[in-house]
Amino acid sequence: MRKLLLLCLLAVPVLNPLGAQNRQLLYDFMEIPQALLLNPGAKAEYQWYAGIPLVSGISVQGRASGIAVNDLFADDGLDINDKVRDRAIRGLKPRDEFGTSVQAELLSGGFRGRERPENFYSFGIYSLGDVITYWPADLAELAWEGNAGQLGRRYRLAHLKTRGDVLNVFHFGINRQLDNRWTIGARAKLYSGMVSFRSSSNSGYFLTEPGADNLLVNILDANMQFRSSGFEAIRRILDDDSADQAAEIRREMVSRGFFGGDLGLGFDLGFTHNLSDRLILTGSLLDLGFLVHASEVRNFTLQGRGAVEGVQVILPDALSNPDREFWQQLVDELEGLVPFEEDQRTYLSFRPTQLFASLRYNYGQRNPGGASSSCDCDYRDGKSGPVPLPDYRSSLGGQLHLINRPRGPQMALTAFYQRRFWNALALKATYTADKFTLANLGLGMSVQAGPVEFYLLADNLLGYRNLAASHIQSFQFGLNILSWGRN
Amino acid sequence: MKTTLRLLSGLLCLQVALSCVDSQNFDQYDDLSITPNMEASLLYVEATEAVINQAPGVDFIQETFAFTPFSEPYVADNLLDGVLTFEVENTTSKPLQIRIEFLDATGAVLDTETFLVDAAPTALLRREIAYGGLGGRSLDILRNTVQLRISATNLGDASSVSPLPDPKIILRSSAQFRFRLK
Repeated sequence: MRKLLLLCLLAVPVLNPLGAQNRQLLYDFMEIPQALLLNPGAKAEYQWYAGIPLVSGISVQGRASGIAVNDLFADDGLDINDKVRDRAIRGLKPRDEFGTSVQAELLSGGFRGRERPENFYSFGIYSLGDVITYWPADLAELAWEGNAGQLGRRYRLAHLKTRGDVLNVFHFGINRQLDNRWTIGARAKLYSGMVSFRSSSNSGYFLTEPGADNLLVNILDANMQFRSSGFEAIRRILDDDSADQAAEIRREMVSRGFFGGDLGLGFDLGFTHNLSDRLILTGSLLDLGFLVHASEVRNFTLQGRGAVEGVQVILPDALSNPDREFWQQLVDELEGLVPFEEDQRTYLSFRPTQLFASLRYNYGQRNPGGASSSCDCDYRDGKSGPVPLPDYRSSLGGQLHLINRPRGPQMALTAFYQRRFWNALALKATYTADKFTLANLGLGMSVQAGPVEFYLLADNLLGYRNLAASHIQSFQFGLNILSWGRN
Repeated sequence: MKTTLRLLSGLLCLQVALSCVDSQNFDQYDDLSITPNMEASLLYVEATEAVINQAPGVDFIQETFAFTPFSEPYVADNLLDGVLTFEVENTTSKPLQIRIEFLDATGAVLDTETFLVDAAPTALLRREIAYGGLGGRSLDILRNTVQLRISATNLGDASSVSPLPDPKIILRSSAQFRFRLK
């Protein structure tokens, strides 16, 4: 297990960055079956569950670090140009980001193995859309103020980092209780990409300095690329005025989302380890996977180095130039040195790798050694049925979330308190500190009425005082039918 | 317990239902003005004293060539104002005159800039010409310029050679312009 943990810790920073969201309220909230998506090795206590199609798991998150809508568009009488200059152009840093993530389950379910009741199988399909853009600080400043009076300053092209994906994920997971102390799990994923774009490996600079011959020299040293897939199909539909464009786009997206577009593979790993009756350690590594973008690909590159000192007319050599197209020659020369090119080459992208971990302390024993509402059970003896384990009313603990972003791993720390109320209700309250806010209070609840379970999780509750000033906001909800171990 | 339960479970729904948003004015976007000030070198002309001495007439340079950076549609449409900076350095033994003419598509002269420089040793001649804005020349001169004609005239003899190393006449120039992106 130490090796597994070590592997997890090493893998996150190494694997290629992309985005997703921290779902600290859902993680390890085992009254909600969707928690298995965040830790396939979580302690699944259900006999079976079935998500209500399309509404079993919906999660939406918007995030912006460093600036909020209110900073620019508040009706405060200030000049928007001053606000943009002070709060965005001069206020934001290259690590500041804007992003949104949307996930919606199309289908989900799970069941306990009949022959091997220590196994719990879960499966489903969900759609995922995720976009992240980092603030291109130098490029924004160049666009806002220009290069005049900035001799020697290098405007770094690496500040441009953005990517986005819309895809369907088909998954199947196995969760196994090894003994009273260990539960492990793994989930295989098939990715079917609909659209994708990314420009995250840029380097180079734009520089103006005194010229060797002329007053100034402008130098562009660029290694930039923009890759996309799927958009060409949409563009063709939009170019065709005779088509029912909305229907055609919907058809195209459905086709691409069900193995007609880009394909990929991935897997998740997770575990739960009872350090003692009350103390539980969990961990998971999600989305170790990749997509091959081979359909409707369109890539652009700008690579090379060019230095320009204007049109040069040097006599007597210039007299030998018969067409006198000095300006066009200069443009052509620059385009030759720093060519802007396009291709349709297949490319590979890696899914966002995430690491979750938690340490939970249970207390307030509800039913020592006896059957309880949600069976905290030992399933290894399938013939005699589940053996109930001590069950607790309250939990207190901490969680860690790491995600590999285009600018490196991003961490969030969470403290949580969870409490069950009879068989019907479970609440989880969280306090999270991350790059978006140091005061993220979240609250989630799971309500069960008979076999029907409904959950609602909302993040950054303090942000609801003024949504326009919030840097991060998310909510999740879903509806399931489930049977606990007792049924 | 019931009270606590109700309080906690209702809190979440209330929080969502009663969320607030301070008054926002998205029409402010219309007032956003993005006008970067860009600068780059424009034109560099160089002739050695040997070339000047070998020229058959007094005009040792008479060059007309296409020059369209200002008439490119995007530039022409978004140019707000700017400054052209010229610098003339003469290390030859003779006084010289350099003339730059801005020509439109019909060959008509839109503007002329003339530089008279003494024989070396002499200081750098530097001149800044404003376009647009208050007191500047018309931006239409630049917008309609598609050719430049450069003429240089030898106002001295055709045999003397400056004692300075590598004697030349050099014209350097740069442009600094403000564009409207938004």
